[in-house]
Amino acid sequence: MSKRATKGIGDGGRTLIQVLEDNERLYRETGCYAGITQPHVLKQDPIRAELFHWRIMAALISGRETTRMVSGSPYVREVAELCLGLYTPEGDNIAQSTGIQVHIRLMGDNIRWMVKMNYEEEVGIRDGDLFIANDPVISGMHAADVYDMLPIFWEKELVCWVSTVIMEMDVGAVSPGCMPTPNVERGTDGLKFCCEKYGTKDRINRDFEHKINISLDMADIFLLDRKGAVAANVRVRKEIHNIIKEFGIDFFKQGILELIEEERRAQTMRIKQRTIPGRYRSVVPCEFQMAKQPVAWTPANVDVLRLVPVQMDVTTAGKMVLDFEGTGEWGWHPFNGTPQALWGGVSIVTVQILSYDGRANLGSLLPMEVKTPTEDTLLNPKFIKKLATSTPWAPLLDVFGMWSHLLGMTFYLRGFREETFNYRSSAGWQMAGYDQMGNKRPLMAAGTGNFGPGACGVCDGIDCGGWLATPEVDLGSVEVWELFVPHMEISRRFEPYSTGYGRFRSGVALPTQAMIHRTMKCVGSGAIGCAHDRLIPNIGQFGGYSGGRRNTLMVRYKDFAGMLERQEPLLHELGFLGDLQQRLGDQLKDVGLLPAPMEVIEGDILIAASGAGGGLGDPLERDTRAIEADMDEELSTEWMAKSIYCVKAEYDKQAKRWKIDDAASEQMRAAKRKERISRGVPVKDWWRKSRQRFLAHDYDPQIVEMYQSSARLSTSFAQEIRDFWAAPEDFTL
Amino acid sequence: MTTYSKEDLRDMFEGRLPWEKTKEIMSHPKDDDRFDKYIQILQERVSWPEKILMPLGDHLNVVQKGSDRIVKCDCGYEFGDWRVNWKLNALIFVRDDMAKMEEVYPGLKAPDPNLCEVREFYCPACGVMLKVENVPVGYPIIFDVLPDIDGFYREWLGRPLPDEKEFKDMTYEVTASWAKERV
Repeated sequence: MSKRATKGIGDGGRTLIQVLEDNERLYRETGCYAGITQPHVLKQDPIRAELFHWRIMAALISGRETTRMVSGSPYVREVAELCLGLYTPEGDNIAQSTGIQVHIRLMGDNIRWMVKMNYEEEVGIRDGDLFIANDPVISGMHAADVYDMLPIFWEKELVCWVSTVIMEMDVGAVSPGCMPTPNVERGTDGLKFCCEKYGTKDRINRDFEHKINISLDMADIFLLDRKGAVAANVRVRKEIHNIIKEFGIDFFKQGILELIEEERRAQTMRIKQRTIPGRYRSVVPCEFQMAKQPVAWTPANVDVLRLVPVQMDVTTAGKMVLDFEGTGEWGWHPFNGTPQALWGGVSIVTVQILSYDGRANLGSLLPMEVKTPTEDTLLNPKFIKKLATSTPWAPLLDVFGMWSHLLGMTFYLRGFREETFNYRSSAGWQMAGYDQMGNKRPLMAAGTGNFGPGACGVCDGIDCGGWLATPEVDLGSVEVWELFVPHMEISRRFEPYSTGYGRFRSGVALPTQAMIHRTMKCVGSGAIGCAHDRLIPNIGQFGGYSGGRRNTLMVRYKDFAGMLERQEPLLHELGFLGDLQQRLGDQLKDVGLLPAPMEVIEGDILIAASGAGGGLGDPLERDTRAIEADMDEELSTEWMAKSIYCVKAEYDKQAKRWKIDDAASEQMRAAKRKERISRGVPVKDWWRKSRQRFLAHDYDPQIVEMYQSSARLSTSFAQEIRDFWAAPEDFTL
Repeated sequence: MTTYSKEDLRDMFEGRLPWEKTKEIMSHPKDDDRFDKYIQILQERVSWPEKILMPLGDHLNVVQKGSDRIVKCDCGYEFGDWRVNWKLNALIFVRDDMAKMEEVYPGLKAPDPNLCEVREFYCPACGVMLKVENVPVGYPIIFDVLPDIDGFYREWLGRPLPDEKEFKDMTYEVTASWAKERV
C-alpha cells in the first residue's frame, strides 16, 4: 500500500484508506456493517427513513433515464444496458438503480481499488473529477462494460460516489464485435481504462476525446455514452446535495451506513425465512472451441472441456456459501473468469431472486460468501493480466444460471414454490464490416429477451422472458438495430422445440433470424453468452427436462437471387427440427457455439436459436388443457403431445382448435409409466457397468482431459470421483 | 403478518389458482407460516401414516419412520436414509446414443452422446419420473440436495426433532459396499 496522506478528505479528516480500514475492522469485530450494532437514525422516524431511501433511489433512476435521453447508442436507448449505483466514500454500495445490476459490486471494487492505491494523494480526488474504468483485472465483467465514476463532496469532505455503467458497442477490440471471441491476448480486448481521470470540473478532457476519436470506429457512440453518464452522475450529485440540505449532513452520513446494515439484516432474515439449510450441488460443463480460431498465439488452438462444480451451502447461521472446488484449468481464450467477476454473478442473481424490493445494496451480499476458487482454475487464473477477458460471461452466465437453479430447489423445499425458477443463457452472432452507409464498424446487435427461462414452481416459465444479466427484459425496437448492422430482421417466431418439458414447462425461446443486407464486406463470428453447445445444462427440475441444445445456424441459399426473382419464400421459421437439415441440405450450416470468423454475404440468414431452461415435474403430469392451449398458440406441437406428454391430440378443423382425448391419454400415460419401469434398470446395475467404463477411461479424449484438468488442481475433487466409482486409491483420472 | 389459506396454497401448487392471486402471493411479503401449511398439504395427499419432515421434490419427501428418517415417494416406495443419495435406489434410464436423445430432443436439439448423457430416474413402484440429470459421461450421480433437517428444526423453527442424526453424506459408503459385492 502506498504512503498515506496526512489530512484526508474522508469523514473526520481521515484519509479514505483510514476510513476503509476502520470500516473493515469494525465489521470483523462486530459482524455488523460499519460496526452498527444498533441502527438508530433510520429507526427514529421510519417515514423519514423511507423518504430518505426513496429520494436516493429516485435520484439514481432519474439519472439512468437522463443517460437514455442523452446517449445515442441503441444499447442505452433500446436495451437499457446501463445502471447507476451510489457508494460510500470507500466504495460500498448504498443503493442501485434498475438495469445491469451485475456491476453494482464491481463498480464499488474499482472505487475501493482507487482508495487502496492512494489516489487521494497520488492522483487526486476532487470535486468534479471524472474517473473511468473497464478493466476486469481490477474488477469488471469485460472491457465493453465501461464505468464512469464521480466523487460527491459536501463542504470539502467526500461523502459518497456515484457510478454509471454502460455497455459499449465498440471499445476498439480485435474484430469482430465488442466482445470478440477469436482473441487470446490482453491487447486484443481493445481500450482498457484502469480507473483513469478523464475529466475535471465535470468536463471530459479534450485529449481523452481526441484519443477516442482516433482509436474507435464508433467514437461518436462511445463519447455520447460518456456524456450521458456524466450527465447522469451530475444529476445524481445535485439530488444528493438536495437530500443533504433537506435531511442534514449528519443524518445523511449515518443514514447511508444504516441502509447497508439494515439490508444485511433483512437479507439474513430472508435466507432464514425462505430456504432450508443444507448442501446443494450440481455441475456446469463448459466448452471452449478454440481449435479453428485465427489467433496469433497458436498454442490457443485447442478445443477443451472444463468442469465447474457448483456447491451452495446454506448454514444455520443464515449464510450462503458458494464453492467451486473441482473447477478445471484456465486456458488461452477470452472466457476465463475472475473472483471479482463471480461477485458480479452473485449480485445479479441476488437482486432478482432474493432482494427484489428495491433495497438491494452491499448489505444484500454480506451474508454471501464466495470461496475464492483455486488459483489457476478457469475462475482464477493468476496469469489474468496477460489474457484477453472479453467474454468471461460465457462460463459465468452458465454458473449463475445454475445457482438460480439451486436457489429454486431450496425455495421449493421450503414451500415457496412460486419463487422457484432457473435460467439459461445463449449465444449468437456478432460481426465486423461495413454498415449500409459504408462505415466500417464492429457490428453486434443485442436484441435481448429471446431466452426461455425455466419453469416456475406454480406455473409455466415466461415465454421469451429470460435474460439474467438485465432484469428488465427489454427488447426495445428491434428495427433500430438495422441502422447499425447491415441486416434485415426477417422473422421472430416462438420456437416450440426449445422448450424444457415438464408438469410446468419452461418459457419458449424466440430465435433471431436476420438476413445480411447491403454490406460491402462483412465478417461474422460467434458472440457467446454461454459455454454450452454439445452438452446441455443440468437444469431440469424435479422430473422435468432441461431445454435442448441451443443453435447458431446459417442458411446460405444456392440461388438466392433466383429465389427472390421467383418470389419463393425464405426461411421464416425453423419448424420441426428433426428434419430441418434434410429440408435445407447443405444450405444449412450448424456452426456450433463458436464459429471461426467467416465472410457473410448478401442473403445469408444468420440464426441464433436460444435454448430454454428447465421444465418442472414429470411431463406426464402436465395438465391436458395447458397442452391444448399451447398447441392452439403454436407453442407446442403434435409431435410433443405424442412423444413427450403422451396424450392423444386431434385438430378440430371446424372449431380450429386442438382437442385432447383425456381418457385415451390417461391410458397412454399409464402405459408409459409401465414402460419406464420395464426399461429402467436398478442404479446399482448401471453403476457396475459404468464403473468398468470409468476405470478403463473409455471416454472421448476431451472428456478424459476434462477430468484430468480438474484433478490436477483439486485432490478433493479427484477423491470424490474415485469414491463414487469406488476406484482404487492409486487410480488416476 | 401475511398468511394464506391452505386451499389457496394448494391450488397455487397445482397451478389452479387464478393468476391475479398467484401474482399477489409472489409479490407480497412472504408468509411465515408457509412451511407448516406446506407440510400439511403434502401430508394430506398421501395415504401412508409416516410424518413428513421435509419435501425433496415433486413426489419425494423425507419422513420420520420409527427413529429413522427416510426418503419416501408419494406412492409409498421407500428409498432409504435421507443421507444417502436417493437416486441410488431408483431405476435409471440413460439416453446415451443419438436415437434415445432424439426421442426427446429432435435433430439439432440433441446434445452429443459422446460427451454427455441424459439420466432419467424413475420410482421403481409407480414409474413417475423423479429427476432428469444431464451430465458429462462419467460424472458421478449428483446428490442434488442434502438438507440439514435437524439444524432446520432446531435453529430456525425452534422445534428440535427427537433422535437427532449426524449431518453427513453417506452415499459413498453405499458405492463402496457395492464394489465389495460379488456379482
